[in-house]
Amino acid sequence: MLARVANNLFWMGRYIERTEHIARYLNVNYFSSLDAPNQLSQSRQFVLRSMLFMIGEPEKDDNVVLNEEEVLYNIGLNPNVPYSIISNVKYVRENANSARDVISTELYESINKFYHFVLNYDVETFTKRGLYDFTVNVTEMTAILRGKIRGTLLHDEVYAIILMGLNIERATQIIRIINAKYHDALKAKGSYGDTIANSFEWVTLLKCAESYDMMRRFYKKTPNSISTLEFLILNSDCPRSVMNSLNQVHKHIRVVDQSKHPSKNSTSFLVSKVKAECEFKYAEEIEENVQGFIENILSNLVLIGNKMEKEFFNY
Amino acid sequence: MNTNSENPIFSSYKKNQSLFDEVFDENGASKEVYRTLFDLYGKHSIKEYVSLNNKAKASFFNQGITFQVYGEKETKEKIFPFDLFPRIIAPHEWEIIETGAIQRSRALNLFLWDIYHDKKIIKDRIVPMDLISSSANYLHQMIGLDPPGGIYNHISGTDIIKHADGKYYVLEDNIRCPSGVSYVICNRTALKRALFGVFNHYETYTVTNYAENLLDILESVKPHGVDNPTCVVITPGIFNSAYYEHSYLAKAMGVELVEGRDLFVENDFVYMKTIRGPEKVDVIYRRVDDLFIDPLEFKPDSSLGVPGLFAAYKKGNVCLANAPGTGVADDKAVYTYMPKIIKYYLDEEPILNNVHTYHCSRPDELKYVLEHIAELVIKPVDESGGYGISIGNKLTKEEIEVVKKQIIQQPRKYIAQPIMSLSVHPTYIDDTESFEQRHVDLRTFTLLGKDKDFVLKGGLTRVALQRGNLVVNSSQGGGSKDTWVLKK
Repeated sequence: MLARVANNLFWMGRYIERTEHIARYLNVNYFSSLDAPNQLSQSRQFVLRSMLFMIGEPEKDDNVVLNEEEVLYNIGLNPNVPYSIISNVKYVRENANSARDVISTELYESINKFYHFVLNYDVETFTKRGLYDFTVNVTEMTAILRGKIRGTLLHDEVYAIILMGLNIERATQIIRIINAKYHDALKAKGSYGDTIANSFEWVTLLKCAESYDMMRRFYKKTPNSISTLEFLILNSDCPRSVMNSLNQVHKHIRVVDQSKHPSKNSTSFLVSKVKAECEFKYAEEIEENVQGFIENILSNLVLIGNKMEKEFFNY
Repeated sequence: MNTNSENPIFSSYKKNQSLFDEVFDENGASKEVYRTLFDLYGKHSIKEYVSLNNKAKASFFNQGITFQVYGEKETKEKIFPFDLFPRIIAPHEWEIIETGAIQRSRALNLFLWDIYHDKKIIKDRIVPMDLISSSANYLHQMIGLDPPGGIYNHISGTDIIKHADGKYYVLEDNIRCPSGVSYVICNRTALKRALFGVFNHYETYTVTNYAENLLDILESVKPHGVDNPTCVVITPGIFNSAYYEHSYLAKAMGVELVEGRDLFVENDFVYMKTIRGPEKVDVIYRRVDDLFIDPLEFKPDSSLGVPGLFAAYKKGNVCLANAPGTGVADDKAVYTYMPKIIKYYLDEEPILNNVHTYHCSRPDELKYVLEHIAELVIKPVDESGGYGISIGNKLTKEEIEVVKKQIIQQPRKYIAQPIMSLSVHPTYIDDTESFEQRHVDLRTFTLLGKDKDFVLKGGLTRVALQRGNLVVNSSQGGGSKDTWVLKK
């Protein structure tokens, strides 16, 4: 496979995953805040700030009053900012275009339909009453794309590269969402006993990661800070967890790099190392220094991306 | 049969008696070969037909089978307009087209070999020297160079029309990077999806075998000493108007689609940059124009090409299809000598007719052209895509004067031909919700390899969608039809 095309596939995977997380974050935060148990969590300003924080454009000035339609437009449909959903979907398609000869007709067609859906979505409808419809459709369409990737591509190195992109991005986004909600929880403490450990925001966090139902099944208890972090970071059976994503990345790098003893400078070696570090963490340890853990894992994920670029996408 | 009263979708079909209608005879009855088809289509109400038509359009759009139109402000993505009423070519007519197309491709190949080697045809005074010496597409770099397998024009697109006399004429040969073949296949797919019922009534040749034959042809011209050649398609990139076709061909052949930046040359061998390091490339189907393929040899500012590619080609380490420098032979001035060229190399009479052509470079013919512009089509010899064509009877007096001036300034740049009446074919027009007569031509695709040849049984029937318009190129708003070649 061409190095350039591999790069396109990698980023196609990343942007698909990124689009999904942004869309779900908007949806879950907006709608769960409507009947949140405390005033702060219900506040529009609080939710809008959380959204901006998550996509990496935090509003630093506490005195600024955000305009809801403007924020929603920017994150959803503003084609002139790189973080919007529409820009992300454009990047998905651009990358797919450059790799069009190696992906299936079926996958390309789904990407193309997705692109036209987002491109033609009416801005006013979206900002005034279409938030639910739009974000649900976007998350569903990304699910279709993942289905087409799994079901219509040969499970060879093309597939492996896409899935590495997808899973690196998933781990990154889950961590970013944890980071954002952790911030929110610090501000909006729980309704039961006013501690951060019991904040309503943990439920929202799990829903943002589409993991609330799984979590309830696993713990049979109302989520608190420890169980949520444990589940979303360390539980390898949870398909959205950081651990599961790292396991996936590890599995797929072994398809691309089949050497028995990967050199210490290889991506494969680094992935194994990051995976092993995570494997032997426990939740209480993370909770002691959540911020430190988040920064560490994010920088490791960036390192993996950079390594891949150097090793495989050099053209 | 009266076409108007019984068939709502033919309600506005006005038959112009002076045009050659491929489907209906002088009395308005459908011709033998179209009868079943016409009856099947005629059954549809306008509503049903519109719905089918929209489905076909959506199918193209969703699959992203679109092309870019370069406008003044922005580049737009458009579907290639497609008409659901197919063109049928009967076996005996197809035989003429197929043998004629191969004959031309072979003759052009021999001509190219000759003009880049001994130039016998010039020494024998069959064609004039200035035909070559004054052509911008004659590449001195190709002189004396032997392309692998002795093939220059591996892929040829021959544009053929049916004139009012019912005979086929060649309008031009395209042997640089002819495009359109992917649409042949898409049109077939779209038609099958929308109207699968009609196929049961005709025995039609498949068109999906193009890619495998193309790969065979490319592999047949592998460099000396290579057993299993690695073939690639090179594209200018995703912003090229034919990018869909490039990606389709690469995918259908199962080979890599590369851009110039994916390749590099080391010790006169060509490699592509893969995730596992360099991999040698042996045959390149190039969809990048001659002057852009190698900045070291041609346009130094080209970023589409590969530095050193031509040197590798010269050493015989890589094969380029088509060979550089083929453009000299699909020049519209060379076209006029085609009957002589065929006779000279093959000692055969041309199977397909040539349209009579006036060379503005010859004083007496120039005089005739200047006096008869209103009856002629004026074409620049070195443009493609329908650009720069003036059709005499469509020009105002002022425009005629402008054209005259242009010709006088650069007589070598222009040729003129009598206005050929392209045959017409029923084509659905949205505005009138009915079929109407529209002019069509046919681009056939011929492959030439070492001891192999192939003509795609079908081809791209292009339609001029504007009433009375004779220019069918997609860049000029033309559409297309599926083309059925019937089995004997």
